Amino acid sequence: MTDAERLAVDMRGIVKQFPGVLANNHVDFSVRTGEIHALVGENGAGKSTLMNILYGLIHPDEGEILIHGKPTHLTGPRDAIALGIGMVHQHFMLIPVFSVGENIMLGREPVDGLRLYDRATARKLINDLTKKYGLSLDPDTRMADLPVGLQQRAEIVKVLYRGAEILILDEPTGVLTPQETKELFVVLRDLVKGGKTIIFISHKLKEVLEISDRITVMRRGKVVGHLITRDTNEEEIATMMVGREVLLRVDKKPARPGAVVMRVENVTASSDRGVPALKGVSFELRQGEILGIAGVEGNGQSELMEVLAGTRKTTGGHVLLGDRDITTYDARTERDAGVAFIPEDRRGTGLVLSFSIAENSILGRERSSRFSWHELVLKLVAIREWARRLVKEFDVRTPSIDVAARNLSGGNQQKVIVAREMGSKPKVLLAAQPTRGVDIGAIEFIHRRIVQERDEGTAVLLVSAELDEVRSLSDRIAVMYEGRIVSIEGPDTPEERLGLLMTGGGKAREGAA
Amino acid sequence: MPASVRRLTAGLGMPVGSVLFAFFIGALICAVTGANPIAAYAGLICGGLGIGCTQGENPALQISNTIVFFIPLVTTGVAVALPFRAGLFNIGAEGQLLAGSVACCAIGIKFADLPAPILLPMVLVGGMAAGALWAGIAGVLKATVGAHEVVTTIMLNYVAQWLVRFLIVGGPLELAPGTSKSHPIGAGAQLPTLLPADNSVIIFGLPASVFRVHTGLFIALVAAAVFAFLLWRTAFGYEIRAVGQSQKAARYAGVSVRRTIVLTMLIAGAFSGLAGAVQIAGVDHNLTDKFFNDTTGFDAIAVALLGLGSAVGIVLAALLFGALHTGGAIMQSDAGISSNLVLVLQALILFSIAANFVGAIRRGLPFGRRASPELPTELPPAAGLMTEAAVPPPEKT
Amino acid sequence: MSGVGDIVHLLFTANLWQATLAAAVLLLLPALGGVISERSGVVNIAMEGMMLTGAFFAVVADLAWHNPWLATLVAIVAGGLMATIHAVVSIQFRADQIVSGIAINIFAAGLTVFLVNRIYGLQDVGHVGPNELLPYVDIPALDQIPFFGQVVFDQNIVVYIALILLVATHIVLFRTRLGLRIRAVGEHPQAADTAGLNVYVIRYSAVIASGLLSGLSGAFLAIGISNTFVPNMTDGRGYIALAAMIFGKWTPFGAFIACLIFGLGQAVYDNNSIIHVSPYLLSMLPYVLTLIVLAGLVGRATPPAADGLPYVPGSE
Repeated sequence: MTDAERLAVDMRGIVKQFPGVLANNHVDFSVRTGEIHALVGENGAGKSTLMNILYGLIHPDEGEILIHGKPTHLTGPRDAIALGIGMVHQHFMLIPVFSVGENIMLGREPVDGLRLYDRATARKLINDLTKKYGLSLDPDTRMADLPVGLQQRAEIVKVLYRGAEILILDEPTGVLTPQETKELFVVLRDLVKGGKTIIFISHKLKEVLEISDRITVMRRGKVVGHLITRDTNEEEIATMMVGREVLLRVDKKPARPGAVVMRVENVTASSDRGVPALKGVSFELRQGEILGIAGVEGNGQSELMEVLAGTRKTTGGHVLLGDRDITTYDARTERDAGVAFIPEDRRGTGLVLSFSIAENSILGRERSSRFSWHELVLKLVAIREWARRLVKEFDVRTPSIDVAARNLSGGNQQKVIVAREMGSKPKVLLAAQPTRGVDIGAIEFIHRRIVQERDEGTAVLLVSAELDEVRSLSDRIAVMYEGRIVSIEGPDTPEERLGLLMTGGGKAREGAA
Repeated sequence: MPASVRRLTAGLGMPVGSVLFAFFIGALICAVTGANPIAAYAGLICGGLGIGCTQGENPALQISNTIVFFIPLVTTGVAVALPFRAGLFNIGAEGQLLAGSVACCAIGIKFADLPAPILLPMVLVGGMAAGALWAGIAGVLKATVGAHEVVTTIMLNYVAQWLVRFLIVGGPLELAPGTSKSHPIGAGAQLPTLLPADNSVIIFGLPASVFRVHTGLFIALVAAAVFAFLLWRTAFGYEIRAVGQSQKAARYAGVSVRRTIVLTMLIAGAFSGLAGAVQIAGVDHNLTDKFFNDTTGFDAIAVALLGLGSAVGIVLAALLFGALHTGGAIMQSDAGISSNLVLVLQALILFSIAANFVGAIRRGLPFGRRASPELPTELPPAAGLMTEAAVPPPEKT
Repeated sequence: MSGVGDIVHLLFTANLWQATLAAAVLLLLPALGGVISERSGVVNIAMEGMMLTGAFFAVVADLAWHNPWLATLVAIVAGGLMATIHAVVSIQFRADQIVSGIAINIFAAGLTVFLVNRIYGLQDVGHVGPNELLPYVDIPALDQIPFFGQVVFDQNIVVYIALILLVATHIVLFRTRLGLRIRAVGEHPQAADTAGLNVYVIRYSAVIASGLLSGLSGAFLAIGISNTFVPNMTDGRGYIALAAMIFGKWTPFGAFIACLIFGLGQAVYDNNSIIHVSPYLLSMLPYVLTLIVLAGLVGRATPPAADGLPYVPGSE
């Protein structure tokens, strides 16, 4: 193989401009055949844009792409597929109501003599493929009925079915349990042994260090470094990603918990699909402490937060705030009672994107006597005062409070939400995934403010899928698995034990129900 | 230029551009089918604005007629724009208007002997209640089973139309068998005209009673102001807008999406019903078969959209469409071109607004994949027929 | 009440059901169009306008060339052209699809009367009537079956065509790869795009197909059932077809059942000279029926997941 051919992918001088942001700024990116190459950077660094360009979904403004040494012009995913490039997206490109087989075959469906879709042939082809790569899947199951790990597997089979030699995986482990992640890595190593090339986009540094051979780091649209995995470590990568020294742990004084402020007793609730999501959750929350809930997404954490915030009905159990039974309170009454909620979906739930910062600052409190006369007429002056104060205190980077929320960066959007909820001086602060998809500067700020709230006496309940965040912030850690709290651990519990509890193993220590 | 002026002109750009676009294509259609576009538009301008009339039309009369059409268009425009802010399409403004007219008529006939200070508010409130009921049916259906309001309100329109005919053609409200019109409403229910209704007074060259401009004008303008206040200065208006932009965020805020939908439709129906009542009280004073073919409620859709859902915009757009309406009649009689050209123009304006052609061209659409990922829209996102957005999932109410 | 008694009596006549099937077909064709369009993810409430356009051009062409087949072809193409406008505005310009649909309906209503005025110079329309109409065809032997023979096998030729199209639409949508792709585009256009399908082409085709079908229905109305063009002669059938589509949960056969129900209402109304109920109250029947259907049974029917959302490539 010549030097050029040894490079499966060679992208040179890629430029892509979106309105207001230069997503890719003269990016050079190359991947050797047969390696696992990690593309690393914060949200908004430009990694997904670059890969979308490689897959033909977006056209670059400038630059060229060479595949196995040959210059190519990609007009769409069809061309990329023809060249052997396959992409497994962060948000799955699967159709829930179709079967596994129909999803995999889409675009290359086998037909019989009558030009009707040939289910039998499809089944056979898929079984051949899954056997070849050791990925077992039933072609006739409805995609929506599969667990997330298997759905991802279907995505991979889909890509292999089209003859992909170069696989791009965009943040593949975000939705997987630790066990599923291990299985995925086994699959990836097998694929590489079979001659495939893999590009692995991630911001999870531990995993990147575990699976990749080489690393390219991007920051704000530029490539800022190339690293060889075995020669580097987390701190070095993080520093390159952010451009300065990064505190990977939060500085905090020990907690001084006070009286019990919220008591959750045997709460049960169903998910949107009617399946039981909470199967008897019990715990206590004290003033001045941060209780972190660790667990893989999908084990009931979202539903728990919604129940406590008042946007989901319980099917049993009680929630007590002080000595008030707030089980049946709706979102507005909860807020009035002093329970604030930072929701996990900031763009869909926490903000109205087309509203200005000022309008968003009263979301949920528009009827409180502070912001309206007799729940009728809005007190515009008071609202603007409030918004200005929040923006200043929480360092939201914006030219004015009339800017629409959608025009803020992810980090600033989150700060608006955090500011709004903390600014109301709540008794209890519910924080769900408070730093997801947010740049490191904002993460540090939000972490510091959460600790500050705690120090001022607020009770904080933190849910996060990032185990590091839970461990660095929490004073106590509750592990959730399959709708129950399986154990409540101390803040210095080793990660391995937490990982075990998160997947249903290990023995409880205290307070499990 | 101060920022507010700049924002105003930027905001005006799209509607004005849309109107120009529509007139341009309209001229093309005329030319292609052998009609003289200049004659057509001259007729429109004469009839609508009283300017440049060549065939002896009285300009003051034309302006008066334009205003008469303008009045219900403002209130029904509001009736369409308010639900739009909540993400609902109120295509039923016409049916709600008819309901209001029927109520006003029925009450005005039954209590014809009551004096004005009692009867007039009665008929107006009665009209609002009837309109609210008419819209409320669609609102409740939407909030409970998720039936899309486009289809339900259109069905209700047809029902209202036939109800009118049923009532006045051989029906309970008919004046005398075979007349196909209702009894007149009592004098107390009539809205006074702006100019004295006295034939002996000559104004602008015509006997005064020819000018039908009436005090309903003030009611319409007040309605527009109430709409603006409701939407921007009240907590409920805030919640309506939140529901329209993001039902998930509204639920997070503790807003009952279902209740908001029903209330919004009720209020919108009340506005439409008021328009219908004002029309009877101010102009017609009775119900005739011409109401069967009334198009005010449909014109209101274009008014609401062209006005970009704002009170000022609606007033301006209502002026335009009022002028087009009266202009159409003159165009037909003077230039021999069917007044339906006005409908064509209306549709072209709608296309242009919906597609935001001007903005699209500026952004480099429509060709190729170089589309930007961010699409600024002036109007709230519409819920597709029976999508998740249309059917609120189980919530804590 | 003699009115109700009359109606019940009527229900047992073959004539009524024959009329029902014909009325149902008039709704079925646009409903099928709606199903195809929405399955590909484009909300289409413009059937009313496309039908009206088809009706108008069918009459014009028939008067010009005295050939109902040619006229029907012209009507179909006209419907397709109207649909193309909706497609361009909705897909290419990403307009709000409901506003675009309503604009089409207003456009068609205005344009048709405007053109009648231009072409025939008549201010009062409703008096242009071609003589060469779409034929009624009795299927020999089968039409002798008591009751059903008259209902099913003694109909206008368009009815037979429509029933064939009904079956064909079902097969294409649910058994062929084209149907799979259409549905994929309607459920998750990003997934379809990344799988290499051309989302735009599929959506355009689906919308235009709905126009062709609506045009055919318009021709049936204007030169099959009646013999003239009257302003707004479609009378809301396009919207009722929408309700049928929703009732049928976006499936062809489901929509057909709804069309039969609505067609029954229409047929009862047409017999108002026999039944002693006010014709105006009866006129409300199809619309009230639609409301009841939408209120009662629909429940939580789910449309294709991406219905109504313009597709923006590269977005998440």
